[in-house]
Amino acid sequence: MRLLGVELSRFRSRRAIALILVAAALLTALVAVTTIWETRPISAADRASAEAMAASEADRPFHKRELARCERNPERMFGPGATAEQCLELVPQPEWFLGRPTLSLEENNESTGIAIIVLITALSVVIGTTFAGADWASGSLSNQLLFEPRRSRVWLAKAGAVLAGTLAATTVILAAFWVTLYLVAESRGIPTGATVQEAIRETAGRGILLAAGAGLGAYALTMLLRHTVGALAVLFAYAVGGEILISVLPFEGSGRWSLGNNVFAWLQDGYDYYDPTLPCSPGTSYCEQVAHLSLGQSATFLAVLLVLGAAASVVLFRRRDIP
Amino acid sequence: MNEMVIETTGLRKEFRTRKGRHIVAVQDLDLAVPAGGVHGFLGPNGSGKTTTIRMLLGLARASNGEMRLFGKPVPRHLPEVMDRVGAVVEQPKFVPTFSGRKNLSLLARSIGVPSSGVDAALDRVGLTGRDKERYKGYSLGMKQRLAIAATLLKDPDLLILDEPTNGLDPAGIRDIRDMIRHLGESGVTVLLSSHILAEVQQVCDSVSIIGNGRLLASGKVDGLIGDRAATTTRVRVDQADAAAARLAEAGHRVSRDRDALLVEGVEDPSLITRLLAEHRMYVREIVLQRPDLESIFLQLTKDDTLTARPGDGDADPSAARSMEGVA
Repeated sequence: MRLLGVELSRFRSRRAIALILVAAALLTALVAVTTIWETRPISAADRASAEAMAASEADRPFHKRELARCERNPERMFGPGATAEQCLELVPQPEWFLGRPTLSLEENNESTGIAIIVLITALSVVIGTTFAGADWASGSLSNQLLFEPRRSRVWLAKAGAVLAGTLAATTVILAAFWVTLYLVAESRGIPTGATVQEAIRETAGRGILLAAGAGLGAYALTMLLRHTVGALAVLFAYAVGGEILISVLPFEGSGRWSLGNNVFAWLQDGYDYYDPTLPCSPGTSYCEQVAHLSLGQSATFLAVLLVLGAAASVVLFRRRDIP
Repeated sequence: MNEMVIETTGLRKEFRTRKGRHIVAVQDLDLAVPAGGVHGFLGPNGSGKTTTIRMLLGLARASNGEMRLFGKPVPRHLPEVMDRVGAVVEQPKFVPTFSGRKNLSLLARSIGVPSSGVDAALDRVGLTGRDKERYKGYSLGMKQRLAIAATLLKDPDLLILDEPTNGLDPAGIRDIRDMIRHLGESGVTVLLSSHILAEVQQVCDSVSIIGNGRLLASGKVDGLIGDRAATTTRVRVDQADAAAARLAEAGHRVSRDRDALLVEGVEDPSLITRLLAEHRMYVREIVLQRPDLESIFLQLTKDDTLTARPGDGDADPSAARSMEGVA
């Protein structure tokens, strides 16, 4: 526990990590502010502005000409049996200029909520790599091992710090985001049902685990490769190159092994994705080629990936010479 | 017989470079450092000093051989003895963006040393007042001092210092040497790895000299100097040829160095002056030249360079010439 406390202190003191966490919080705040602004209630000023715009539009010669043509021959525009009253539909209405959605926590849970989790997960990866990479780059790891030569303990203490740090940071950021949206919805009198709240809690919970797992995985990979940039390059190659490779592989159902598909299946409690490698039934004119990844399948895939990476990392760290 | 603080038997380290070249960094090294005092670890660059230290401290794996610290086999029992060992390996290594104090505090906390211990260590190396500055802004000398402060956090029984005066100004070098000397006298065993021969001769009680990863000589500094090279007397006299003939007749080994004669193996210069005076040849200048560690070091490492190169294969155990037992 003493070593974990030291590593947590090291984690908190790293300026790069603090900057990344501030960036994550600011970007999340920006998303929240944008969401709140774009769904703001329609005010009297908004309505007056929309009415003025509608009146201005209706005064345009083009609209007047179209209206006159419609009134002369309504059936030409609306079909047989149409009357001249129907031509009033062509007159610009204030509602046309008030196309603003209402704040919906349910919709945000499936859109901005997921986007924020993906953003924080990506930043957690950078945190995990920079935390381990700085020790290798400065050579201070060898100094630390002169004080605690049990390498497994050192590896675990650092892993614990990354896990705890990213867990705490993600929890705080996501909680702040959803509490803010909840309070805004309540203040606007928008109902926030228990089912929606439960769904948000589940998605956020899985998001927190994903971000912490990503940070831990990135840390393990950096301890394996000993370079921040090297680890980020490998992760990028896996995330992007791996997706391309999977898409061109001739194996049936190769989309099952896509990192992106598994991440979305984990976050959304199952995911339907397009997989061109799936066979079509003979004789059918339409082939859907859509596959489903369940939460359990994605959880297994991501957990195996993390455990294998961590095991390789700790085994090699125990054996290798430390510069 | 003294307790051995450091012992290695048949220690060997081999590795491959990225280009696939096979390197033998340390060859069957038998090293013994007794408890107490300052023991020099001397060798030219690339001779295997740092690799040996890194293996002792568990930072590098030995390819073969055995190592003991305080009688305990390492690296297996390293956690049991590490609290008694302070070490600076190569250049100081700390987190550059942390302050000196922060770096030290983290290390102190990992072994349960309170902040007062950090204060004491900083004070001892003269870094109080500069401790809150970022490490990356430190001069090389300050970095070296901080590294030594880190070793003092443990209040060690064994201090391993690899080139500790690198980058220090003359006053800093004197301070560190005084501190090493003081630690050695107070019962701490100090292994001082250095290429500065004068430093080793000034500070160390005993020394091990290695070259090409092999032990070339080991023993008390005075004993090593006394045993290794015969005393040479430099004599200047007017009739040099005649004088050389007389000295040779008397059984002395004589050689010429420009206008002077070099007479080997004569401990008492009055023997020479008396002999020459009896033949009416009068000495103008006579100097007793005692060998120093530098001449012995150069002679040993030169011989070794001629007889072995790294990666030549198995080391010849007979190459380790123990000059005097250190026990």
